[in-house]
Amino acid sequence: MIQSLDTILVLVLLSVLFSFGSSRLPALIKVLAFQGVVVSIVPFFIGHELTTGGIAFTIVTLLIRGFGIPLYIYLAIKKVAIGREVEPIVGYHASLLAGLALIVGAIFVSPKFNLPLVQDHALLLPTAIVLIVAGMFLLMARRNAIAMVLGYIMMENGIYLIGTSFSVRAQHIVEFGILLDVLAGVMIMAIVLQNIKKTFDDVDTALLRTLKE
Amino acid sequence: MWGFMVEIVILLPFAMGLLAFFVPQSIGRMLLIITGAAHLALSVGIWIRRPAAFLDTYFAVTAEGLLSLLVISLLFFLIAIYTRGYLKEQQIPSEPVFTGSMLLFLATMTMVTLADHIMVMWIAIEATTLASAPLIYTYRSAASIEATWKYVLICSVGIALALLGSVLLALSMDLGGVDVPMSFSALAGAAQRMDPLWLKTGFVFILVGYGTKMGLAPMHTWLPDAHSEAPSPASALLSGVLLNCAYLGIFKTHKIMHAAGLGDFSGTILIVFGLASIIAAATFILKQTEYKRLLAYSSIENMGIIAFGTGVGGLGAYGAVLCLVHHSLIKSSLFLSSGNILLGYADRFIVGTGRLAKLMPRTFVAFFGGFAGISGFPPFGIFFGEVFIIIAAFRAHHYVGVVLFIMSICVIFAGFANHVMRISFGASGGSVQFQEKAAMVWPQYALLLTSLALCFWMPDTVSQTIMNAVQTIGGGF
Repeated sequence: MIQSLDTILVLVLLSVLFSFGSSRLPALIKVLAFQGVVVSIVPFFIGHELTTGGIAFTIVTLLIRGFGIPLYIYLAIKKVAIGREVEPIVGYHASLLAGLALIVGAIFVSPKFNLPLVQDHALLLPTAIVLIVAGMFLLMARRNAIAMVLGYIMMENGIYLIGTSFSVRAQHIVEFGILLDVLAGVMIMAIVLQNIKKTFDDVDTALLRTLKE
Repeated sequence: MWGFMVEIVILLPFAMGLLAFFVPQSIGRMLLIITGAAHLALSVGIWIRRPAAFLDTYFAVTAEGLLSLLVISLLFFLIAIYTRGYLKEQQIPSEPVFTGSMLLFLATMTMVTLADHIMVMWIAIEATTLASAPLIYTYRSAASIEATWKYVLICSVGIALALLGSVLLALSMDLGGVDVPMSFSALAGAAQRMDPLWLKTGFVFILVGYGTKMGLAPMHTWLPDAHSEAPSPASALLSGVLLNCAYLGIFKTHKIMHAAGLGDFSGTILIVFGLASIIAAATFILKQTEYKRLLAYSSIENMGIIAFGTGVGGLGAYGAVLCLVHHSLIKSSLFLSSGNILLGYADRFIVGTGRLAKLMPRTFVAFFGGFAGISGFPPFGIFFGEVFIIIAAFRAHHYVGVVLFIMSICVIFAGFANHVMRISFGASGGSVQFQEKAAMVWPQYALLLTSLALCFWMPDTVSQTIMNAVQTIGGGF
């Protein structure tokens, strides 16, 4: 079991690199769906006591994070700009290099935190850190508004991974509330995206520069 | 009946908000006022009876929450009266969405004030972002979609950091072997056993996260855009009470830090962010060309003052809470007056206004009175709050901080006064097409008079509640 978890976490790390080098939005959405699936099923691997409620909640999370949110974004932007370039501020090669440095750095610093819960799973903490920072990177380094929303979701996945693996005090009703907030947030962002497209005929955030000092 | 009171006061505006999406415009406007009145009555009831919540793991009635709840309730009621008049003057697209979102916004803010569980607090604050986003997009213009985008994205990302901070608090509980519910009140008792390193890290993330929402520099960039693009009643709510809600999240975490003996650490960070906000406001307020952005920067200044006072502690914390209450009352009245100015001149730039004292005398009284209050003229409460904070800062030997504080406030006053003089007495080309109806000036007067009355006669129960709130972070005389 230990090996299998670390194996899929390696795939997540690779998918981050892939998303940094990718210029196409559909590919990015698929990467996010994969990451959503993986972070949702982590509780099955790390030996938390699984109650019926816990299993039900994990499945709901899987459905929303792994399928619901990516599908919603995909459908919402299908008419808008699917297949377009992500308009990088930082180029793809530089992004890849930054991604590599990020992964190496995260793996290097993680053992120094000395967290007792994760010593069996060497890659859990690095993956969570990489997801959070990579999400922020996409937010800052891409001008395409859709890519920014995807960055936000990636960051949110990383935070969920930290929460689910390092805290034993799972209260499903509360976590469900958080999930609902994230879902509603993504929906509102998608509506805003469609309106940006309608108003500006593009989703390049460089157009959103009229309000400033 | 009192057993469910805390839940009812949250669910009532929520249900009314959902209803408002489906009823005709005139009923929707009345629904705002009726819900506001009922909410106010319930809040006063909760203030008097202090009932325990039915879901007591997640909700609790606390001193700081009660103060915010009553302020929110009073403000919403008065703003609802104004909104009814405003909507008669100003056509807005899809009005049911606007009224519905206003009520949902009220429900989520009420939930923030009553939340006791750390994660429920997060859920409620994120929900305020989602409920208020449609308000900013009300006018459907290019500028408003830009403001909405910035607001939703920056605040969601910021608040995601606060979620990370909350998760780290849970981690610090696990590492310290603390087995109590994850509520602010339970944790304040067990804080000493929590792991200090992760507690500190968690606080920093929570401060940055909720600080984004509160408008602390350098995370404030969404605030002037959102406040200037939203319709004035919505701006009044955003500035008057939404910022308080975010502050409440920081305040309660600071409470845990204080109980853990790490109050100096969190206080210092609050002082730094507070000063940064005041200085940022001083820099930008001088060259503002739009009056609603001017008011927005003044909000950033006041949030900075409040964070600074909270960080200084002692008398400063008492001053900070005074500033919090009075800023809500005065700033919301200013935003409502700015709505009248916008309707009158049909121009959002300061150069497009002028001779307000002559053309719209009743709005002028409210606007100028609000300006005097917000800039810290005695006898308004902000003056006392700022004096308390300055005294406390001197007592705590923060000499550099207090010098920066006083200088920035002077600069802001000069810049603000310059613009207000231009609006009130400067030359104006045109005439004004606006009847100052009673419903659109009295709410402002009522807000200012409440603020004024609280300076001369503060009921014992109010001052006692403020004392109870600030004592938990080591504040008081």
